[in-house]
Amino acid sequence: MADLFSTTASPTGFLIGCICGLIPLIVGIHYRKFRAGIIGFIACVLSGFACGLLGGVPMIIISSAVVISYAYVNREDPFAMYDYAQTNDAGAAALLQENSREAFLRGLAHFGDRVRRSLKALTRNKAGFIGFIGIMFFALMTVFGPLFIEYDGRIHMERRAEGATSLFQGPSAEFPLGLDWQGRDVLSHVVYGGQSLIMIALQAGLIATLIGFVFGAAAGLLGGAVDQFLIALSNFILTIPQFPLLLVLASLVSFENPFYLALLFAVLNWPSLMRAVRAQVLSLRERDYVQAAVALDLGLRHIILNEVFPNMVSYVAVNAIFSLRSAMYAVVGLVVLGLVPLREPDWGVMIFMGRQQGALFNPNASAMLLAPIIAISLFQLSLVLFTRSMEEIFNPRLRSGV
Amino acid sequence: MAVSEVMPQTSPVSAMTPAEQTPILELRHLHRWFTKGRQRIPVIQDINLSIQPNEILCLVGESGCGKTTTGKMMVGLLEASQGEILIEGRNRQSYKGKEKSLLRRELQIIHQDPFASLNPAHTVEQILSFPLVKHKLVKNRAELRKRIWDLLTLVELTPAADIVGKYPHQLSGGQRQRVSIARTLSVQPRLIVADEAVSMVDVSIRIGILKTLLDLRSRLGLAIVFITHDLALAKYFAWEGRIAVMYLGRIVEIGSTRDIIANPAHPYTRALLSAVPEADPLITRRKKPLVLRSEDIPKLTDIPPGCAFHPRCPFFQPGQCDRELPVLSPPPGFVQEVACIPLQGDGTLTPYVE
Repeated sequence: MADLFSTTASPTGFLIGCICGLIPLIVGIHYRKFRAGIIGFIACVLSGFACGLLGGVPMIIISSAVVISYAYVNREDPFAMYDYAQTNDAGAAALLQENSREAFLRGLAHFGDRVRRSLKALTRNKAGFIGFIGIMFFALMTVFGPLFIEYDGRIHMERRAEGATSLFQGPSAEFPLGLDWQGRDVLSHVVYGGQSLIMIALQAGLIATLIGFVFGAAAGLLGGAVDQFLIALSNFILTIPQFPLLLVLASLVSFENPFYLALLFAVLNWPSLMRAVRAQVLSLRERDYVQAAVALDLGLRHIILNEVFPNMVSYVAVNAIFSLRSAMYAVVGLVVLGLVPLREPDWGVMIFMGRQQGALFNPNASAMLLAPIIAISLFQLSLVLFTRSMEEIFNPRLRSGV
Repeated sequence: MAVSEVMPQTSPVSAMTPAEQTPILELRHLHRWFTKGRQRIPVIQDINLSIQPNEILCLVGESGCGKTTTGKMMVGLLEASQGEILIEGRNRQSYKGKEKSLLRRELQIIHQDPFASLNPAHTVEQILSFPLVKHKLVKNRAELRKRIWDLLTLVELTPAADIVGKYPHQLSGGQRQRVSIARTLSVQPRLIVADEAVSMVDVSIRIGILKTLLDLRSRLGLAIVFITHDLALAKYFAWEGRIAVMYLGRIVEIGSTRDIIANPAHPYTRALLSAVPEADPLITRRKKPLVLRSEDIPKLTDIPPGCAFHPRCPFFQPGQCDRELPVLSPPPGFVQEVACIPLQGDGTLTPYVE
């Protein structure tokens, strides 16, 4: 059962992926778009393989929509038909009639078109695309790496080289990143060590963004006492020196469940985003198109969801990535100082243990110490570069490419 | 008075609507002030106006005189600080629930800046369908399509199929302004406030948009309040209607466009009219501009006592203009209502000598 939703590659996931992939394949054959259908099949297999149902089911929708968007691209628009008809009579009105199946397919095609444009926007900015490749590299390594590399968790006394004083070893053909203080393969630790770190950072970033967005939108739109209270609260949290607080808390509370750690980061991280969102909402709500929506009596829900939110998505997404980044640094910091329960494999634990076991003074240990540091820095760099593409993807002006 | 070539053909029938008809909108002793710290900045002071169905009214004045504020209060985007707004003879406050939302739809505004008034995140089709769907003005998808097609054709955006799928940034300024007009028409309004609707549009397409607006007025029976700082535009647009000239939050002259253009009474209106450029260079050279005593508009925080225009007025009468607040009434020899004390005495003005 756990396999159905697992975040590592598993045979069950592969099966799920294959089953999910059949749908875009069938859709592709139906519309005679074989290439798009096969690409959709592969995408489904990969995402199902990686994340089970969580990856496979959304991918069915996305890939089917993309396939349908290829099929609909040259289709006659009902509007065009109406223009051809040039009349207002009942016959022309019948042309405009569209059953709900057609409308559903058209909506799906529209969505697929957006996905395609977003992918195009992704490749337009070179720096952003490099960031995307970096993120994909780490994601694939964490998810599919375990298929090829076995986790090495035991002590290997027999690997000690002739006349060496420790088990540390530099890179060799057999062990590309060398051996650590217990003679274990560093490469396997790099491959397995990212998962928990990325997971905590992702959870912390998403929760902080959610709190920040909801509070920021509420403060900006409702104003008055709500605004005052939230601003005071955010001021209070912003004045707390965060890292020292984490140090104190970590020494008092034992974070057995990493989710609580993520929650703590989120609680400390939301105020800056909330302020940014509030400022943005305050500026957006005075725009003429919001005023026009008020005059047209479209309602508050419409104004938030359809007028204000679409113009903030890129902003919020970029900020989500930044809060994800800072959460990751904070986790690594706590682990390196040894203040949270250590769980191997973990990039932070590698640095901590390396320092503890004298890797700093051992030339043979340089690969072992540098590997997690480089992995963390590269992942962070990819995230920062990727924000460039985020802006392009969510900006309608840039997305439509005119 | 040189009549430029763009002037529409005038009909002999009087432009004034019969007074016994219920006005669609009436402003009574309307005030609006903004507070800044402890200071109260009066933007609108004691405005009385009534707009008949299917009437055209032009609000003319310099920037900062409160035209836009008046327009926003008319459609309910701003609350009045004091005074009453009557809609079809009933106070706005007395409209509740369903009536209130219907009322809101009946009074619409077209914004000045077509680049800011359309949400960049939506296509034209979405922009037009939001109000239609929200207020259940269409029954099904086919009807929605037909309504959107009709609206786009109504504002002369044809072929509609080329426009519907576009985002605002893919349209020209004139096209955007037309989309924005179509959006206001989607809820079947009875009064449209056009707030400087063409001032941000290229001169070459202004007339086209104005013609569309006039055409819509006669076809749909709309009343239009046209806000502008350009008296020449007001002359063209409201030839069949009335003009109200505003200065520092007050109406200084109001009457039918023909009367005001042919025989301007208030010194401020005369100054505005003499500043209108004419296409004919001979006329421009012969025309004597009315020179004001000062170019500076007084600050709203420091409005001069008496007639607010007196520090700039070339016909200033000391002891009279700076003491008493003039009220609107037709002076001898004029048809329109004017707020000018010396003029109301004997119908003539004498230049100020220091």
